[in-house]
Amino acid sequence: MAVRAQFENSNEVGVFSCLTNAYAIVAVGGSENFYSVFESELQDVIPICHATIAGTRIVGRLVVGNRKGLLVPTTTTDQELQHLRNTLPDTVKIQRIEERLSALGNVICCNDHVAIVHPDLERETEEIIADVLGVEVFRQTVADNVLTGSYMALSNQGGIVHPKTSIRDQDELSSLLQVPLVAGSVNRGSAVVGAGMVVNDWLAITGLDTTATELSVVESVFRLGEMGPGGAGAAGVNKDSIVESFY
Amino acid sequence: MKTTWKDIAPVPTHQEFLDIVLSRTQRQLPTQIRAGFKISRIRGFYTRKVKYTQETFCEKFQHILDGFPRLVDIHPFHKDLMNTLYDADHFRIALGQVSTAKHLIETVSRDYVRLIKYAQSLFQCKQLKKAALGRMATITRRLKDPLVYLEQVRQHLGRLPSIDPNTRTLLICGYPNVGKSSFLRNITRADVDVQPYAFTTKSLFVGHFDYKYLRFQAIDTPGILDHPLEEMNTIEMQSITAVAHLRSAILYFMDLSEQCGYSVGDQIKLFHSIKPLFANKIVFIVVNKIDVRRPEDLEPEYQEQLNEILKAEDVEMLQTSCTTTEGVSAVKNAACDKLLAERVAQKLKSGSASATPSGRLGDVLSRIHVAQPMGGVRETFIPEAVKNLTKYDKNDPNRRKLERDLEEENGGAGVYSFDMQRDYDLADKDWNHDKIPEVWNGKNIYDFVDPDIETKLAALEEEEEKLEADGYYDSDESVEDAEDADNRMKADLIREKRVLMRNDAKMRKSLKNRAQIPRSAKAKKLSEMTRGLDSAGYDNDAAGSRVRKQTQARSSRPITREPTADADAMDVDDNPHKALARAKSRARNHPVTDRLNDGITNGSHGVTSFTNRDKAERMLKLGQKKMQRQARAGEADRHTTASLAKHLFSGKRGMGKTDRR
Repeated sequence: MAVRAQFENSNEVGVFSCLTNAYAIVAVGGSENFYSVFESELQDVIPICHATIAGTRIVGRLVVGNRKGLLVPTTTTDQELQHLRNTLPDTVKIQRIEERLSALGNVICCNDHVAIVHPDLERETEEIIADVLGVEVFRQTVADNVLTGSYMALSNQGGIVHPKTSIRDQDELSSLLQVPLVAGSVNRGSAVVGAGMVVNDWLAITGLDTTATELSVVESVFRLGEMGPGGAGAAGVNKDSIVESFY
Repeated sequence: MKTTWKDIAPVPTHQEFLDIVLSRTQRQLPTQIRAGFKISRIRGFYTRKVKYTQETFCEKFQHILDGFPRLVDIHPFHKDLMNTLYDADHFRIALGQVSTAKHLIETVSRDYVRLIKYAQSLFQCKQLKKAALGRMATITRRLKDPLVYLEQVRQHLGRLPSIDPNTRTLLICGYPNVGKSSFLRNITRADVDVQPYAFTTKSLFVGHFDYKYLRFQAIDTPGILDHPLEEMNTIEMQSITAVAHLRSAILYFMDLSEQCGYSVGDQIKLFHSIKPLFANKIVFIVVNKIDVRRPEDLEPEYQEQLNEILKAEDVEMLQTSCTTTEGVSAVKNAACDKLLAERVAQKLKSGSASATPSGRLGDVLSRIHVAQPMGGVRETFIPEAVKNLTKYDKNDPNRRKLERDLEEENGGAGVYSFDMQRDYDLADKDWNHDKIPEVWNGKNIYDFVDPDIETKLAALEEEEEKLEADGYYDSDESVEDAEDADNRMKADLIREKRVLMRNDAKMRKSLKNRAQIPRSAKAKKLSEMTRGLDSAGYDNDAAGSRVRKQTQARSSRPITREPTADADAMDVDDNPHKALARAKSRARNHPVTDRLNDGITNGSHGVTSFTNRDKAERMLKLGQKKMQRQARAGEADRHTTASLAKHLFSGKRGMGKTDRR
């Protein structure tokens, strides 16, 4: 299932929310419309948490998490941490980490098995990520961008990377992550796929501007909705047509 | 690239050409000239006529030359097609003649302008002009045939179909009457004439269709007969041109039923004779009219020949019937697929000279590439509940109540404030709304959160219970006796009283924001003073009378008038003289203060004696002496500063009119 949504006129839904297989975190906004999109799609399957981090609404960029844990930056206040702790299930470990690169959502991209992180992240942080999130950690770039979390959207079934990622990089990342990857965009050509969408194993929420083509790529690579597991990879059928008409 | 030439301007005939140019000269230039004018003016007049005519001619000729395509600049297919249709030599010569005419006219004009310079009279000038224009007209008249030819070419060019030589193309060729046009009608919406006689199609026809989101063009060609190239007529040559130059998939149509009037042997022979043109192209043999006869029913010798073709060349055989539309789309799809695959392969080959394609092709490829991992798939964690999720329906009356609905009910965005603690996942739901202070006694309570608080509390309670059980609290050591309690109560009373007294004193002392005035400066009542003097044992008469006198002097007369006898009586002066005298008289009692003399006697303020005052006055006069003598204006003089006269600042001053009046 892939859904389009907007947070207060902004298409960057990945900035204002964070979605994992065990919980969702949504920024506190002026109205409840954005929250209700998550509510109607997730219903009671996983808890949805209204939260702020360090008093800001850019929760999706500041935190990173998966099914097993959640990492929040050092700027998070005690009250916010307590609120998260109270709302999220006890199986989710929450850890506040001292890291110079405090926008963890931008520098870390992870699913439930593997994390791709900014090359300049501290060694201690790397260990914490491995412990709390229960993942293998790789220092890697996406299309020569160090902000892996911004330029990559990842789930356990697939991933989208920056549209200008070369085939070799895609193959390399794919072999690290052990999931199929495509280079793609969201929100009518936006390259910041990590910030433009949120995804877990059964749901993707993208910005309202996302085109039908982009959405179909999202659905097929993350195997959502009718495509289901084992669905055809993106653009497999029409590869010839695309080469013929664009080159 | 240009594929149509619909926008060439019409080419006039030589007669129209002359009319256009000469009437333009007549209309655009002055016509009045007199013999009495200065000769330079007359010469100028005629020079201009000749030059202008020449310019107009040249402009028109150039326009024709620019409008037609140059054969060297266009695609070889179009070049050959034009050659077939219009004869390239003829075309080139026609344009060449126009170009030559243009040069000749330029020369004529140059010569005659030079001659006019030496003309001596109006008559000479006029004759020279006439000769010049006459020669230009003659040159134009010689262009009669080329102009007619070019006009015909223009009309034909405009009607040619727009054939793009580089796009995806299916080319349909074969003997006349084998069903080429019916096939085009079947796969595209092109309205091609289909008739049961040979050479119904006399030129190329184009139809378009979509396959796999791509636009294809299908070209129907006129039938070809099997004879040498030199003997072919224009109609057949068009087919040959198309076959030779277009990058396409060629569908060679065959009619095995021989309803077309040509034997299968002839058709196979034709295939062999035009085979050299099929080099580097995808070729299909399409057997049409299978509703009448299928290839299986063919005579063995022909079947063998056909198989030979299919074996030897990279040729595929397809079967269709345009009347029953059987296999039409199969033929189309097979041809399109193969063509597409071939074109893509070629593009990839040309784009990837190195190992990894770069540039635009690399961009496109990297975008459609799906990187598949080598190993197995990652485990997913989709809760069971997801499978049973019903899609949220906004119009369902029993739909789930969302936060948005709550918001709407409670005053909408900006008014509603959601309950953050509602969804807390705590051990007891009742705890959700418990208040926990953030700061307690100036300390952040989160700094003191102890993960082991539960165990510590349990230990403490256990100890307490133990103490209680041991009877630790039973001893009366801590119970105070009655005497102590009494003392404590008294002490509390004393402390309280002390506090009250202190507050009282503070209240009394405080000025409550009033100004601090010394006691000596405060006004005292006379009675108070006398009482004070009395109690001190002094005689207070003298002091009292002095004070009383002073006060009376200030207010001896009552302010109110004494009422007249009759309240209604009019206030009439009974003695006018007396009233007048009274008005002029001075008050009986003088004011208490005398500014001139006060203070001199008691010496309390200002000058201390009369002499001093005189001295001061003299000094004052002396100081003003100079000013007086010069009759200068001092600060005490009445002075009117300069001001605008009324007429200078009143008047009509509207928008932007600063001028007076």
